[in-house]
Amino acid sequence: MSHLLEARNLRRILPGDPPVTLVAEASLAIRPGSFTTIVGPSGCGKSSLLYLLGLIDRPTGGTLLLEGNDVSALDGDARARLRLERFGFVFQFHFLLPEFSALENVMLPIRRLGRLDHSMAEARALDLLKAAGLEGEAGKTPDRLSGGERQRVAIARALANDPTLILADEPTGNLDSQNSARVIAAFRTIASDQGRAVICVTHDLTIAAAADVRISMLDGRIVAIESSPGSTGPS
Amino acid sequence: MSGRLGLLMDIALKHLARRRRQTLVAISGVAVGVGFFLAVSAMMIGSQRDFIDQLIDAAPHIVISDELRSRPPQPGVRAFPGAAVALHGYKIRTEVRGLKDWPAILAAANMLPGAIGSPSLTGGVTLRLGGHEEALGIVGVEPELETRISTIEEKLRAGRLHDLETAQGGIIVGEELARRLGVGMGDIVAATSAPGTTRSLRIVGLFKRGQSQLAASSGYVLLREAQSLLGRPFIINRIGIHLSDPYQAEPVARQLEARFGYKAESWQERSADFLSLLVTRNVIMYSVVSAILLVASFGIYTVVSNSVSDKRRDIAILRSIGFSEFDLQLVFVAEGIILALAGVLLGWLLGYGLMAILGSLEFPIAGEDERLPLDRSPRQYAIAAAASLLAGTIAAWLPARKAARVDPVDILRGAA
Repeated sequence: MSHLLEARNLRRILPGDPPVTLVAEASLAIRPGSFTTIVGPSGCGKSSLLYLLGLIDRPTGGTLLLEGNDVSALDGDARARLRLERFGFVFQFHFLLPEFSALENVMLPIRRLGRLDHSMAEARALDLLKAAGLEGEAGKTPDRLSGGERQRVAIARALANDPTLILADEPTGNLDSQNSARVIAAFRTIASDQGRAVICVTHDLTIAAAADVRISMLDGRIVAIESSPGSTGPS
Repeated sequence: MSGRLGLLMDIALKHLARRRRQTLVAISGVAVGVGFFLAVSAMMIGSQRDFIDQLIDAAPHIVISDELRSRPPQPGVRAFPGAAVALHGYKIRTEVRGLKDWPAILAAANMLPGAIGSPSLTGGVTLRLGGHEEALGIVGVEPELETRISTIEEKLRAGRLHDLETAQGGIIVGEELARRLGVGMGDIVAATSAPGTTRSLRIVGLFKRGQSQLAASSGYVLLREAQSLLGRPFIINRIGIHLSDPYQAEPVARQLEARFGYKAESWQERSADFLSLLVTRNVIMYSVVSAILLVASFGIYTVVSNSVSDKRRDIAILRSIGFSEFDLQLVFVAEGIILALAGVLLGWLLGYGLMAILGSLEFPIAGEDERLPLDRSPRQYAIAAAASLLAGTIAAWLPARKAARVDPVDILRGAA
């Protein structure tokens, strides 16, 4: 099976005296339709690895391949373009723009990509909000939504441009158990039913248990990669 | 492209709407700057144009007189060029003053495109009435030609220049002189010239008071009357030339002077001191109003700079979604441009209002109610808008560069 995303000896070292190693020699491969979690103690480099995989941060060494193409040395604009077209991000804090309504927040990446006209972009965003059970909240700004609703809006926004990869950083960190369960269910659906790959950094054991693949990290290094029985996990 | 720009504009507008008070203060700053720029420049340029018009119209655009810029070389020097090193103590031949072969000069002037020439003779006389004497410089003219090259007719309180032709021995003098002599329209005064000729002249016209260019002690008579009174028949010592484009006066004057040797003075040369003063005045005006616009742009800098600081989290979100550094820069530059644009539109209204108020004011000058000469041309509106938009763009661009440099990882990691 071909890899959607592959990291080979990926490194991220912050310059300084002494230099700080955030990620060391990380190698992994992500397949389409897989649900992968990255687990480990706080400060072990989970989020740093996620930002490297999501092209938000630049590696100081190693190679990152997206569908077989080396993307580790791309310039800022090309990386931004790939993030827009191929990646969707969900963070612990919802990270919605406070001045924009839920609908407008979901429309942001669609409008920036510019492939749909305004009415089609609106229709697409409404569909995503409806799928997230938020069709009645479309006109509300983030301050009028509950924590769970905001996170579901953030997931809808991550799916806006039909990405092949969803990257989530502690997406249930601020949610109660009921909302966490909804978010986990949403990720499972995204991976298994929609065929997208989901990579999720988490402390939440429930999410880790629901994943096809669990990557464990310690001190910036990947110490274990485990696949659930019958999963389409990493090679 | 328009969709992308529309989106970036939306984000910019939402940011500004969120910071309503600062936005209003910044817009007001630009509006006041633009408004006062328009009002001040309207007054300055209006008065300058009015002043230049007066300079241009005060006398013919070019005056050829019977003077030479430098004395002609002596016959000995002309005959043996380079042989005579210096000549001292020679007796200069007395020459009859006046423009020699003036009909040829006049014809050459009239041949120039859009030019009309008018011959005249000037000289000094003494007016006497009841033991009172006044020195007067008289200008002998052909009324038909003189009215075509000057605005004398507009400056007459009473009578017309053509009345010089219909009344025997007619003269037009200033109101002040007439008052000093105690004469009025139709009264007769005695005029004596330097050669001793005396004539009785009848007042057929009066110049308005305050026409300094016509001087309080000069008068107009018919050309042949002046020639007779001054004892210089058939002689003229001045040709006034009117051009359809007054700003061509300088090169045309140079050309005529080079051809005929007589001093040809353009209105620019005549008014060089005033014109250089106007340049200084303009430099001061534009420096002051530029400073006003610059200060107004500080408001824009503050708003955009605060916006960049406050929106670091939003910048990180947008970068993670896939907005480029340039997109973010454009958002904040757009904020500056929106502020400047709104300020310009309000400033235009303010400036228009100020000009309306200034234009309605009347000031009593030389016994007449005069309004301020204002320049309301669209050019000033365009300059104000261009300067404000440029200043606003630069003021926004400086902090916008900071927005583009925000590292999303720092923000995302810090928040997580």
